Amino acid sequence: MSLRISILRDALLLTLWGGMILWLSLTKQLATYLHPALQPYTTAAGVIFLLLAIFRVRSLMVLPTPHQHEHHNHDACCAHPHHEEEAHDHGAHHQESHRGKSVALIGKTLLLLLPLAIIVSGKATAYSVTTVQNRGVVGDLSKLPAASAAAPASPSTSASSSATGAMPLQIIDMLYAIQMPSYREEFEGKKVEMIGQYVPMTTGNPKGDRFQAVRMFITCCAADAKPVGVIVQYPQRLTMPEMGWVKITGKPTFPMEGGRRAAILEATKVEPCPAPSEPFVY
Amino acid sequence: MLTTPWFQFSLPDFQYAFLSILLEGAPFLLGGAILSGLLEEFLPQSLMTRLLPMNPRTAIVVSGLLGMIFPVCECGIVPVVRRLLRKGLPVSCGVTYMLAAPIVNPLVILSTLAAFRGQGAVEMTLLRFVIGLTVAILAGWVVSFAAPFSILRPGLLGSEADHDHGHAAASPIDRLTNVTTVASRDFLDVAVYFVIGAAAAALFGTAVNQEVILPLAENPPLAIASLMGLASVLSVCSTTDAFIAATLTTFPMAAKLAFLVFGPMLDFKLLFLYGAAFSRRFILLLAAGLFVVIGLLCWRLATLNLAW
Repeated sequence: MSLRISILRDALLLTLWGGMILWLSLTKQLATYLHPALQPYTTAAGVIFLLLAIFRVRSLMVLPTPHQHEHHNHDACCAHPHHEEEAHDHGAHHQESHRGKSVALIGKTLLLLLPLAIIVSGKATAYSVTTVQNRGVVGDLSKLPAASAAAPASPSTSASSSATGAMPLQIIDMLYAIQMPSYREEFEGKKVEMIGQYVPMTTGNPKGDRFQAVRMFITCCAADAKPVGVIVQYPQRLTMPEMGWVKITGKPTFPMEGGRRAAILEATKVEPCPAPSEPFVY
Repeated sequence: MLTTPWFQFSLPDFQYAFLSILLEGAPFLLGGAILSGLLEEFLPQSLMTRLLPMNPRTAIVVSGLLGMIFPVCECGIVPVVRRLLRKGLPVSCGVTYMLAAPIVNPLVILSTLAAFRGQGAVEMTLLRFVIGLTVAILAGWVVSFAAPFSILRPGLLGSEADHDHGHAAASPIDRLTNVTTVASRDFLDVAVYFVIGAAAAALFGTAVNQEVILPLAENPPLAIASLMGLASVLSVCSTTDAFIAATLTTFPMAAKLAFLVFGPMLDFKLLFLYGAAFSRRFILLLAAGLFVVIGLLCWRLATLNLAW
């Protein structure tokens, strides 16, 4: 592999990484992966990748010709700066060693293209119920990073009522209310509307009339997401896809169950709805 | 008893977590690579040897504290250390700086204080700093007895002397090109290991049932070992890992401390990232050594029954 090809390979990889990050940023898809506080850093990295690619291409213009620096070509095939390669064995195994290094370089290139291929496939944009089961649904705010420190003075979305006259409420508001009686009084027994992802309850559901409404709480990125959820009691039979987004209308209750206070939404209506623009809670 | 199997794999979930880790870590890795390019172009080799104390032991201690004024998180540390080693930083100092910087970093100190508010924040932050620094210095001291070729990745140290001359005469645009060339190569070199590490972390983070570790919380040695394992699996950035540790309420404080010290030194992605600078044998020995030393230190603290 010549030095020119090596530089072009670097420039191509940097362009693809930069381009893909900027595309995710411009199409607001970064929000699917990262906490808002981290998105500007990743977007900036996308711009810097493109700048680095431009400089890599520029360096092609100042390359020495082969007869000026013959050993540069040897270095180039190894894709390393010449000063790092002077200890190389130029003996009988030279060709074999070069072949091995070329294969390794192709492998590394493919590895760096793998994330881009996953993004292009468009399948990795949300968790399935498998990860929710593996991580467990958090119903106790003390097990949630930072959220336990201080509850807001009033429910996070209670400023206005929806067209149906129901108070919009977040799952996390109900979890705060478990801990704080004064907060609970704001909406206990009132008609509320809540959005969450549908997770069937396989245990603790003897009558089969319960499911969980969950949202993903993240600290940095989706990799550290913790599902937070409340129980929804709904007597009618549901045929929702697992982790599908649902809008639930009902009344919040906070009964004692198993010696602990639980947050249960007694639903009067459950309907599918589109995913919110902010898929996570922070 | 587990309600679901200990291992359930979903390819889209794995891919989703994998991309999230990469998108989160890429800017920090890139920052480290750019810093590496700047060091290569602007830090004369002679300055490095002049800055460090002559006494090797004092030099190791100073390297451990460098992270306070030269903060880099664990994702960006490897390109920086590679470059510093090539510039003549002794391997023992390089290892100490690499292990300590993600912990003694001022941002990490502030985030630990904030996360443990109401849970002995000052004690936890202080102990994290002291134990992290002590372990890093100890690792550097042990490394100082070993031959560099047995620790470093073959070919890592090239002759830099021939690259230091002539910079003064170069134009600013040429110097910028040199910085970007080194930064690009370092990023692409190290990113390969980052991709593998992110894949390992994503696999364990999405496919392994986290209920598995909960019964271990009752027994201090097992709690400490399991939280060190969890820190590796989660591979969370050291600037935010305290927020996760603070929520592990069923675990003793000593186990949380082990999580906070071990994670930034050796999580799953670092296990692979270190491969860009160090030999496989050294990384495995380092992993085992850190696990044992941090585990024992935290266990000793647990037996003291400190009021925190």
